[in-house]
Amino acid sequence: MLSWTIVRTPPTGFKQFAPYIVALIELKSGVKMAGQLVDCNILKLKSGVKVKAVLRKVRESSKEGIIPYGIKFKIK
Amino acid sequence: MTIGIAGVYTTKFGELWSQGFASLMKEAIYGALEDANLEIKNLDAIYVGNMLSGNFGDQEQLGAAISGELGLNIPAIKVEAACASGGIAVHQACQAVKSGSYQTVLALGIEKMTDYAPEEVAAGLMQAASEDERIAGLTFPALYALMARAHMQKYGTTESQLALVAVKNHFHASLNCKAQYPFTLTKQDVLNSTCIADPLKLYDCSPITDGASAVILTAKNQQVKILASQVATDSTGLAGRESITEIKATKLASQKAFASANIDPQEINVAELHDCFTIAEILALEDIGFVKKGEAGPRLEKGQFKLGSKGLIVNTSGGLKAAGHPVGATGVKQVVEIVEQLRGSAGKRQVKGEAKLGLTHNIGGSGGTAVIHILTNKGKAFNKN
Amino acid sequence: MKQAGIISYGSYIPRYRIKVEEICSVWGKNPNDVITSLGINEKAVAGIDEDSVTLAVEAAQLAIARLNPLRSERLSLKQVGSIDIVFVGSESHPYAVNPTSTIVGDTLGLSNNYLAADLEFACKAATAGMQASLGLIESGRYHQALVIGSDKAQSRPHDALEYTAGSAAVAYILGSEKVIAKLICMTSYSSDTPDFWRRDGIKYPSHGGRFTGKPAYLRHVKEAATQLLKISKTEPTDYKYCVFHMPNGKFPRQVAKELGFSSSQLEPSLIINQIGNPYSVSTLIGFAAVLDVAKPGERIFVVSYGSGAGSDAFSFEVTKEIVEYRKLLFHSLPKNNSVSTQIKDKEYINYIQYLKMTGII
Repeated sequence: MLSWTIVRTPPTGFKQFAPYIVALIELKSGVKMAGQLVDCNILKLKSGVKVKAVLRKVRESSKEGIIPYGIKFKIK
Repeated sequence: MTIGIAGVYTTKFGELWSQGFASLMKEAIYGALEDANLEIKNLDAIYVGNMLSGNFGDQEQLGAAISGELGLNIPAIKVEAACASGGIAVHQACQAVKSGSYQTVLALGIEKMTDYAPEEVAAGLMQAASEDERIAGLTFPALYALMARAHMQKYGTTESQLALVAVKNHFHASLNCKAQYPFTLTKQDVLNSTCIADPLKLYDCSPITDGASAVILTAKNQQVKILASQVATDSTGLAGRESITEIKATKLASQKAFASANIDPQEINVAELHDCFTIAEILALEDIGFVKKGEAGPRLEKGQFKLGSKGLIVNTSGGLKAAGHPVGATGVKQVVEIVEQLRGSAGKRQVKGEAKLGLTHNIGGSGGTAVIHILTNKGKAFNKN
Repeated sequence: MKQAGIISYGSYIPRYRIKVEEICSVWGKNPNDVITSLGINEKAVAGIDEDSVTLAVEAAQLAIARLNPLRSERLSLKQVGSIDIVFVGSESHPYAVNPTSTIVGDTLGLSNNYLAADLEFACKAATAGMQASLGLIESGRYHQALVIGSDKAQSRPHDALEYTAGSAAVAYILGSEKVIAKLICMTSYSSDTPDFWRRDGIKYPSHGGRFTGKPAYLRHVKEAATQLLKISKTEPTDYKYCVFHMPNGKFPRQVAKELGFSSSQLEPSLIINQIGNPYSVSTLIGFAAVLDVAKPGERIFVVSYGSGAGSDAFSFEVTKEIVEYRKLLFHSLPKNNSVSTQIKDKEYINYIQYLKMTGII
């Protein structure tokens, strides 16, 4: 994990999940991506901490639409 | 050839409940024409910078919407680069005049964004970011918070130093009747404000604002001229950047601008820098080369960049933080402010001594686009580059 | 006919727990009464962004990772052999029409050459999938199956089910090579007995109160168990362990006793106390807890129960392969990830957080 923050004023579609932690992650391949961190203790957050990818629902979905699954991260 | 600034105008920035798009646009355009001592029929083309007219106002084809409202049939074109839309509109207007095809070109920046719920605005602005950032539920405060934390870790920049940007810009805004927040703040006010996206707090963040600004460019010689107009781009998302403790697009655009104007950063007397968040002004001071990397925080602590101090003065308008940030208008407003400074007509905000060279710095998103303009009131010509 | 059996397994228990006392404090009930009558202390609650699909993926990833001789979490299906069946059993599939099994399959990176289906039969959906897969593998027509039970259980606030309805997932990889527990015998018993049901489009299940006991759970589990003992010509004493579906702490103990099993045979499987009843996961996660400790040669008697109603019964025998397999299970992956370790990895939440996580507020 390269850097992190806590979103307290969420955009549309994320109200249900707020506040949540978002981080910039560097994958083993060197490619970077932004992603939420779940199930984690804020006190454990330090740049360089290792994380692993998990599948989660990424935003609120409408009652009828396709459920949006995507990648979030957990501290290893 | 020279690109002269014939006229400038900015509306008040703020929550302009009683002014719609058309009213703001007309106020800005007619204001600039009056300042230029020109008539509407003298305009050869209009470039309008705006980000959210389609998303919020359901209106695209903004160029025609505006020229039609003015009763004109001239070329009128919307340009968009998120929060750099205004700067890009000025840049395109420069290119238009430089091309020789147009003599008198108006660059308008305009945004109406206060009529919507905060979460809708947050989501709308995220159109300037990347897909993974949207899926992660990021917001612009959070994106700049990621950069702030990285900068703090690498260079030891502190939340206190960030707060000083807001304090300085609010002091300047208190002298600007067009500013959204014409009142001062103390450092403690900033540090005590609500956390928005750790470590950035409410007063580290620029507001949601309505407003419009216009400048009229001409091939004719004028008191104030544009010496350089340069643009650079980078990835929309932080994941694609080489480093998140600097904005590469700013570095590239400013290097090109200084080269084409044949001047050094140290010669700039007054600058409008893109302080969408306090950290952004710190990054700008470093990336443009006004200070060394990591030095901006300490220099702010020494009281530099504030009206009344020696050396470069930054954001006399109040910046984005205190004057407000109507996304499409900001880039044009920055030019308006520098023109006022170089004309000597900035009143209580006037920098003392000889202001000869000014610079504007306008960013799109978290650094996907950067636009730099260098202006002067001396007899230098606009470089071919 | 090929010898079919289990070649790997993995469970996932979401980290949040709510105590019976916490729920009781909201509704003014005496916690001791509830704990005694239901035989449960706390239950597992899934995060707000988890559902049966995401829970299933976590369990399956663990089951697959444990087979990787490189001892890394990165699954390498080429080494595993290709999985050509994916069955997911759940009472809370996120879609009424759209398969959980293929969302899981794609997320795991399986090649597209597999048979996929979602199963529903209340709490025995996954064991039904297990029976079907074992048969397909025995025939030689299919080779390796990924069978998953996954549920994010929903219960109406202030209903008795609120204390027990939990969330979890468990995945089994079935095949015929390097089997760690081989199938000895299986059978099933079914009838039309609506003791617990949920109509299409309705959020919470309904149940018949005391009718869920003798005429439902007890009858079907006992019938399937008796049938299995008969056709396999075995007695309860031939088994080291037994596992029964756990809708509460009382029923499995009662049926074990009535069938002639001892409490020491039943004890290792009783996870209801700590995680509640994650519906289609219950029997199979109890079975996983037993597999974590069983030794080669030991036999395990497994009977599930699904309301509506039916029971699937199995007899497995642990093989020598489990010794090698266990080295990967406990040592290779970053955390010891046995069922008991996962049970202990927890964070308590209060009732308001529970309402937020279950989407009620």
